[in-house]
This record gives sequence, structure tokens and C-alpha cells, in this order.
Amino acid sequence: MTPGAGTDRAESPVRPGGAPRRSEVSAGWLAFLLNVPTLAGLVLVLAYPICFAGYLSFHEVSIRHLRAGEFPFAGLANFSRLFQDDVFWLSLRHTVVFVVASVALEVVIGLAVALTISDERVWLSRVTRVLILIPWAVPPVVNGLLWSFIVNAQYGYLNRALHKLGLITDYVNWLGHPRLAMAAVIVAYVWRTTPFNILLYHAAIQGIPAQIYEAAAVDGASSWQSLWRLTLPILRPVIAVTLILRTTFSFMVFDEILAITQGGPGNDTWVAAWYTYRMAFQPPFNIGLGAASAWVLAVIVGIAAIAYVKLVYRRVDYA
Amino acid sequence: MMRLSWPRRAFLWVANLCAIAFLLLPFVPVVLGSLQSERSMQKNVHALLPEEYTLANFRLILSGGRSKGPIFEQMTYLPKSVERFPAAFLNSLLVGLAVTLVTLAAASLSAYALARLRLRWTQALFQVSVVCRMVPLIVLMVPLYVLFRRYGLLNSLSGIVVAEFGLLLPYAVLILVPYFSGLPSDLEDAARVDGCTRWQAFLRIVLPLSAPGLAACGVILFIISWHELLIPLILVSRPEFMTVPVILAGLVSDYFVFFTLMMAICLLGLLPTLFLVLALQKYVVRGLVTGALKG
Repeated sequence: MTPGAGTDRAESPVRPGGAPRRSEVSAGWLAFLLNVPTLAGLVLVLAYPICFAGYLSFHEVSIRHLRAGEFPFAGLANFSRLFQDDVFWLSLRHTVVFVVASVALEVVIGLAVALTISDERVWLSRVTRVLILIPWAVPPVVNGLLWSFIVNAQYGYLNRALHKLGLITDYVNWLGHPRLAMAAVIVAYVWRTTPFNILLYHAAIQGIPAQIYEAAAVDGASSWQSLWRLTLPILRPVIAVTLILRTTFSFMVFDEILAITQGGPGNDTWVAAWYTYRMAFQPPFNIGLGAASAWVLAVIVGIAAIAYVKLVYRRVDYA
Repeated sequence: MMRLSWPRRAFLWVANLCAIAFLLLPFVPVVLGSLQSERSMQKNVHALLPEEYTLANFRLILSGGRSKGPIFEQMTYLPKSVERFPAAFLNSLLVGLAVTLVTLAAASLSAYALARLRLRWTQALFQVSVVCRMVPLIVLMVPLYVLFRRYGLLNSLSGIVVAEFGLLLPYAVLILVPYFSGLPSDLEDAARVDGCTRWQAFLRIVLPLSAPGLAACGVILFIISWHELLIPLILVSRPEFMTVPVILAGLVSDYFVFFTLMMAICLLGLLPTLFLVLALQKYVVRGLVTGALKG
């Protein structure tokens, strides 16, 4: 064996036919060294804190304990308190309503807009395409404040516009009614997040070869039929991706809740992330309870995340 | 391509107009609100257009509450968020740039390894990144608060940067790996034949070639950092370290704030990312698509 053979042998499964090099670290070592910053980041800022959250959820953690630096063991007390808390279950129920409604709207509106802008033959669709990402550029908290102004009972422009159109005579207190307040948050959230879906659907539609439609038209298919029989089936994988991604992200809605309703009226728009935030970081600062609730959420989202990996990244050829 | 029949063309025009209305209509109240005085807004609650337009709101915010003008002169109370806006803007900018640079550096190293040095554990790491990208932020914030408190990282810009780095790193890897994989390896191979080490090939060939991919990833990182509320909201309680989203969230609990002023501050807060998205749209689009559909 020549002196260079040792390094070459290690890298041969990665890059067959590579010529012997002067002193170079093996592919395995190089991969490790290149990944040191990422691994450090993942372990220190993601993995360790999440395990630590598990630790906290079994301990009593409040401001007093934080000051003392000692967390007495609490067993399952945090979890039993969590599961006995009606507001927690209420928050989960609201979250489910929020997720189902917002994801459904995001997919339907996203598909409708993506189909609209994908026709090259209409000049206006080029204008629309430039504008698509604008709502995505709005910071979530700004989006919340913006809609809190629109739906404001006294000065809001929704009431002004509806009044001008003669649809209402008295101004509606949108945020004072449980259902309407939830609807307001959903509309605000959907407005900001739908562009992401439009973008992915649009990219997928552009990847469909035009000949398929021409062949379908020659065979006598109407455009309605080619939409249902061709476009939507082809888009099924990308729709599945957006379903999972949007589900996990809307599960965590926070900014819009904070800016529009703060959970009100009463507890009627409390959602999962809001519950965790209020328990852990607002009086009574019960961080142990917050950690327990965070862990329950992590498990729910984790299931969706694994489904996503299985679906999209199952095979490891990216290109 | 076949010509469109006129009913279909008309239908697509109407559909496009609806889409444009959906995308832009919510901005109209913000702009109208920010350009009027509170008195004009309260005077006629049925009016759509203000009686008179003024830039006083913007002047007040941009001067940090000093340039009051006739409208705000009588005011004894000004929201703290107004006074803090210029400093918060600077903080947001610093945090955004630091997060973008640090994350981009770490993610590009690791993405190159994942794309080119295909080992079993690097492939596993890629899947770990996918899962990590979906870690709910609120789940992370509870333990991070306790840890950062212990290690003295609360109330500092570097604490915000560290937390956002951890949050964004997996996403940056997801955007960059498909990009590096898509680069032709011919140039690299040629450089290797000429005696370059892999590291040198990465620095001299791959990085310059992948400038568009790095730009796409970088602009997305900056935008997400600019938007981030929960991390600075929980990690920071001292005004001098607050970022723009935090002072905006401060308006929520401020019962004396006026919508006119609030809309002006909102507009100023969203302008940087709006500008980035419009100016670098090509990159943003590509980054978002590859980050979700692996290219």
C-alpha cells in the first residue's frame, strides 16, 4: 500500500475514482469538522433546551425558585395540573379550530391564486405575480396590529366600508363576539401566510409541461376536467407538503393572537402557544407548568414533523 | 400555446383583480390611518377618506418623540414605543445582520458537507434538520429563558442572536443543501485533479459559484429575524435591548395609544422587509421553494 492509500480508501465510497491527494483529511473527518458549528448550535440551542424543558416539567419552577436556583422535584404535579385545567383543554380546542380553518383557507385560496397567475397568456397575471409575496413580508406582529385596526369597533375600516356599502347600519364590535373574534384572527393569519402556499403551488404548476394540457384538449377534455383530472392530481404531493408545514406552524400561532385579541373576549381565543406563554411568562410565572404544556405541544407537532420527513425527504436524492 | 377564448380571458382578468385586492387591500387602512391626525379620525367615524393629510405621525416617530409639531404639542402622554423606535430599529438591524452572517457561515459549511460528502450520518443530520426546523418556538422559549437567566444572557442582543441562530440554523441548512447539490461538480473535480484539497475547492470554487443561493438564504434569514417577536419578547425586558417587534407588541397593552400613530409605526416597521422582498424577489422565491420542496 502506498502512503496515500489510507485516506483514499476512506473516501472511496463517497467519491469513486478520486486521485490520490497530498496530505488531506479524509472525507469523514472533513464532514465532521465542517459540521462542528451546526452540531454545536443544534445541541446547545435546540436539543439540550428541549431535554431541559422535560426536566423542568417534572419540577417546581417559579420566580422564587429561579431566584434561589433550586427546583424541587414535583413528580407529575405539573402534568396533572395541566390536564385538570379547563383553560388548557379550551386552548387546545381553539387551536384545532384555528388550525383546521386557517390551513383549509390557505390551501383553497393558495390554489385559486396560483391557478390564476399561472396562465402566461393574461398580461395582468404578471403584475399579480410580483405582488404575491407582499403579505409574507409583513412582520407577524405588525400584521396583527394592522388587522386590529381594520376590525376595530369604533374607528375600523371594515365597519366604515360595510357602512358605506349599506350592509350594516350600526357598527359591529367584531372582537367582542367569540366567533367573530376567532374569525378575525384567522383572516389576519391566513392573509399573511397564504402567499407561501401560492408560491409553492405556482412553482409546481410551472413545472407541469404544457403538452399534457394540449393532449388533453385534443382528446376533448374541458378546462374544468383538466383542472380536476390533471392539475390537482399532479399537485397532490406539494399540497401534502403545505398541509403539514402550515399545520405545524399555525399550531404555534402567537403574534396575531397577542396583537388582535390577547386571548379575548374572555378566554375565547386562547390557543396553545398563548396558554404556554401566559402560564410561564405572565403572572403567576409558573414555568414548570409552562414546560409541561410545551412538551405536550412538542409531541403533537413532532408527529406532524415526522410525517413531513417521511413524505418529502424519504429518499436522499435532492436534485 | 392556444389562444384564450374571450370569456375565459375575462374570467382570468377578474380573478387576477380579486387576487390583487386580496393581497393589497389590507394596506389601504394602514396608509390612510397613518396619514391623518387622531382628531380627524374621530371626527367622522363613517368617512373613508381623511379630511386632511399630515405627516406628523411619521415625523414624531422618526425623531424619537422630540419633533412634536402642532398636533402632538398639547399631548402630555406619548407612548414609550414612540420614543424607543429609533433605538429599536437599530437593535433589529444589528441582530438581523449578526444572525444572518453567523447562521449563513455555519449553515454553508454544513450544507456543503451534507451535499457533497454523502455519508450515512450526514444524511441523518439532514433529516434531523428537517425535524428541528419544525420545533415549536414556544416549546424552546421556556427552557431557553431559564438557561439564559442562569448564564446571564437575558437582556442582551447577543442572547437574542444566539437563540435566533439556533432557531434558524436548520432552516438555512434545508435551503442550502439542495442548492449545493444542484451545482455541477465538474469544476470542483477539475480543481481536485489540479491538486486542490476539498476545503480549497469549497472556498475557491463552490462558495463563489453559490453566491445566488447564499443571497437567497441570507435574505430569508434576515427577514425572519426582523419578524421575530417571541424570542426578544421573552429574553429582553430592558428598553435599550428591545427590537422593533417588541416595542410594537408594547403598543397592545398601551390603552392610550392612537391608531393613527400605531399605523404609522407599523408602516415604518414593515418597510425594511417589504423593500427587501420586492428588491430581491427572485432570491426570496427561490430560497422559499427550495427550503420547502428540496429544490
